[in-house]
Amino acid sequence: MIEARGLSARVGAFRLENITFTVPKGAYGVVIGPAGSGKTTLLETIAGITPQTGGTLSLDGRPALDLPPEQRGLGLVYQHGYLFPHLSVERNIAYGAPDAAGARDVATRLGAWALRERAVESLSGGERQLVALARALARRPSILLLDEPFSALDPRRRDTTRRELRRIHREWGMTVLQVTHDFTEAGLLGDVAILLDAGRVLQSGKPEEVFRKPASPYVAEFLGAENVFAGTARILPDSAPDWFAGDSPAGLGSHAVEFRTGSLTIYAVANAAESPGYAVIRAEEVLLSLEPQASSARNHFRGRITEISTLGALTRVTLDVNGSPLVAALTTRSAQELALAVGGEAYASFKAMAVHLC
Amino acid sequence: MPLASILAALLGSILFLFLVAPIAQLVATAGGEGAARLVTDAELRQALALTAATATAATLLGVLGGTPIAYLVERWHFRGRAVVAALLDLPLLIPHPVAGIALLLVLGRESAVGGAALDLGLRIVGSPAGIVAAMLFVSAPLYISGARESFARVDRRYEAVARTLGDPRWRVFRRVTLPLSGRGLVAAAVVMWARAVSEFGAIVVITYNPKTVSVLSYDRFTSFGLHEALPVAAILALLALLPLTALRALRYERRPELDVGGGRA
Repeated sequence: MIEARGLSARVGAFRLENITFTVPKGAYGVVIGPAGSGKTTLLETIAGITPQTGGTLSLDGRPALDLPPEQRGLGLVYQHGYLFPHLSVERNIAYGAPDAAGARDVATRLGAWALRERAVESLSGGERQLVALARALARRPSILLLDEPFSALDPRRRDTTRRELRRIHREWGMTVLQVTHDFTEAGLLGDVAILLDAGRVLQSGKPEEVFRKPASPYVAEFLGAENVFAGTARILPDSAPDWFAGDSPAGLGSHAVEFRTGSLTIYAVANAAESPGYAVIRAEEVLLSLEPQASSARNHFRGRITEISTLGALTRVTLDVNGSPLVAALTTRSAQELALAVGGEAYASFKAMAVHLC
Repeated sequence: MPLASILAALLGSILFLFLVAPIAQLVATAGGEGAARLVTDAELRQALALTAATATAATLLGVLGGTPIAYLVERWHFRGRAVVAALLDLPLLIPHPVAGIALLLVLGRESAVGGAALDLGLRIVGSPAGIVAAMLFVSAPLYISGARESFARVDRRYEAVARTLGDPRWRVFRRVTLPLSGRGLVAAAVVMWARAVSEFGAIVVITYNPKTVSVLSYDRFTSFGLHEALPVAAILALLALLPLTALRALRYERRPELDVGGGRA
């Protein structure tokens, strides 16, 4: 378990301040944040490489402040591997391993053992990452800290390595904290997501919560939510919302909400105690059609297509709805089947539950 | 070719000739005779052996004491670090006879250290120990400076990884830092040795006899003139060229890749 409470550290002029989060024992945490947000510094502070200047840090229940890195029972893998250039690949893997057989086993599982006779200098960036991962795991750490460990792997290798690491993580009950800038990876791997910016935690929680319910418009935009609207919310009377049932209720304390932004009125579900100023709808939640659709979705809009951008299998379509842009994401195949064209009309719909108010 | 380039090339060539020509001329003129004197001139042989031995002893002491100092100053960000670093460079900045006089004050018979050493049966002034002290004083800062540079070239993240792999600080130094900086440390030691061999100013103040090659060359020049000094000077130049050649060989050998990049995110 990694538990940080008000943790702070300093590297030169950069400060990591008031970091609070928990990654439960055996869970997989992901740290997401832009370049320069302090992701690597956070890992180095947890590892004891960068001195902690405030707050508390506990690792598997032990206060870590006075523990040197070698006694923290953790492994650290940097993005660039940092394989020792004066040692062979095999000796790199075995560097901190308590037993040679275990080191060989884990290196084989990751596909790094086949590289054992190669010189470190001859390895590609991806191969270095595999060996560095094997080296850290060979020590059987109870906590593993990973700094973009798959960034140099080709997509196929990345996928297999990710899955194998996930298996090892489950088998060993290891706690993992991984830095990534890849939201897909964060969603795929993470039990806990920690969003970091300018040395502070913006939000932490389950990845789907962080993605679907960003704490602020900034977080929403950072996480790639295209539809962020500023406006005012009004709670509809509890007894009234006839559409509520069709949208699978969010539970006690939730209310039907009418959110007005410009000329748009969006229906959402929110807690009565909140006074939201923004509505966030992920583009993937917006359905497009050429005819009005009968569905349980509460929000329906007609608009004119102003932009279509295709990136591989995904197409993003921007509609102008009474002067407000609304972005929908759909598969390129669906976009082709609908024969969408800039200037044409389309209908957009999304559920009230898909609207996150913050 | 632009005029500035021609001018730069001309000035560079003149300086290059100025630096190389005297040594080349010296070795060409008297190198052969110097080599012959090694057979016939017992005093020269003794001076050569004394110089090599004292320079080696000074270098060993410099490496033993200078390596931890260099590591400490390079890796530990303690208060007053810049002042310590500047103080370590002081011996390089003062005229060498002044260094000899300063050493005489600290290590002479009348001084506490010199007196205590004499009580233990170790005479410093006027003995090989004095030569070692003078050599150490003027050349150790060169080693420390080179060693600091070598440690600075080792990315701290190698050490960080090694610590998370279970090694305490001293073992990381032995298993990672030292091997990665070893080539640079050897190069720094070679420079220190060469500098120690060629020292004259501080040695002549603290120990005129027994004579090192540099003192002998000066002695022959003042007593017998240029003709007698030349072979000794040529031998001294050749002795200094030996480690320099070794140093170049070390530098041009392929180095392991140390810096693989990776910014602080």
